[in-house]
Amino acid sequence: MRYTSERSTDPGLLVLTSLAEGPKHGYAITQDVEQLAGVRLGPGTLYGALARLEGNGLIESLPAEDRRRPYRLTGAGSAALSEQLRALQRVARSGLDRLQLAEVSR
Amino acid sequence: MRRRLAGLALALYPLAFRRRYGQEIRVLLDETSPGVLTVLDLLRGALAAHLHPPTGLGSVVDVGDRLRASMSGVLACWVVFAAAGFGFYKTTEDYPYQTAGNSHALLGDAHVGIQVLAILASVAVLAGALPLSVLALHRARRKPSLRMLVSLPIVAVAVFAGLTGVLILVAHSQHSQRPSTAGGVAFIAWGLAGLACGAVCVLASRRALFAMPVARGWLLAAFACGALVTAAMVAMTIATAIYTIALSVDASALAGEPNGPLQATSVSVSLIQQLIVMVAAGVLAGITTRRGWRALSKPDTTAPFSV
Repeated sequence: MRYTSERSTDPGLLVLTSLAEGPKHGYAITQDVEQLAGVRLGPGTLYGALARLEGNGLIESLPAEDRRRPYRLTGAGSAALSEQLRALQRVARSGLDRLQLAEVSR
Repeated sequence: MRRRLAGLALALYPLAFRRRYGQEIRVLLDETSPGVLTVLDLLRGALAAHLHPPTGLGSVVDVGDRLRASMSGVLACWVVFAAAGFGFYKTTEDYPYQTAGNSHALLGDAHVGIQVLAILASVAVLAGALPLSVLALHRARRKPSLRMLVSLPIVAVAVFAGLTGVLILVAHSQHSQRPSTAGGVAFIAWGLAGLACGAVCVLASRRALFAMPVARGWLLAAFACGALVTAAMVAMTIATAIYTIALSVDASALAGEPNGPLQATSVSVSLIQQLIVMVAAGVLAGITTRRGWRALSKPDTTAPFSV
């Protein structure tokens, strides 16, 4: 059975991770997230996440280019992403260490 | 077809969300081929945006447009509520219900209360809509784009009135007083036509309202009428709930009688169905009225509305 942690596929986290590379508009974010995590964000999910992140000051919009509006991380967004990824990293490292120990003790 | 469905799903988002992100979502839909999952995702997103509105969108919609959205929202709820109310009227119009109302005070009072509130709400709808309709007709003379929007409700009401007249003539030409399947089907078709007529009136009046300048005083007066209609809907819902319970307790024989256009349900089941629709319409009207009220309560509402 394939298990995917909800935390690692949280649309907000995925959008922040995508924007860590640089400013992107909606379509570019969906393409990037699909490549990055194998998750296809629908327009409702994507713009729901963008609205929440923008409302919380974690991302900001740039002037529209040809009907598309790019978004970029703010300082607070970078800090929040960094904190979340470190927390995920800690969990991942601990989990892998424990699996290794369990392998050795078998 | 799916693109059109996706567009309709997008129309279900709150006004502020559509103003801020609608164009971008449309561009995204143009760049992808929306499937059924995209439409469902938009519907889910619209529900989430209504239940948990993102912060920071308050300034996207000015007070005037917020009031316009509230008024047309209340009108839409009123159309649905009126359909359920008409069902209630048809369910309880016969002589045995009047007798039961005379014998049991709670039943009789609830029934009279619903009728008084229905008249009050209808008057409030007319009082709120009439000045804006006159204004729209006046403006339509100089603005061609408004003409179509102003004509649509008139045509829809005329068609529905014609259909009602034909059905009344047909019904009077039938001598049998017993309910028939054909009569039930005709009643359902008539009800659906009424809802379609209401939908045309709501959508056209909403678009017209957003397309024309309206003085602050008229908007406030219409909003006050909308708030009164909302309060009347809530009160009628409570009175209908009391009536439904009282009928089951005091006149259980009547409550168990067959009912509905096709005589497929009992009176109590019909009343509960009508009550569910009333609760839904009342709650939605309450939410949209509250949004208008909150916009009015903001400190910057002394600034002139967008006209």
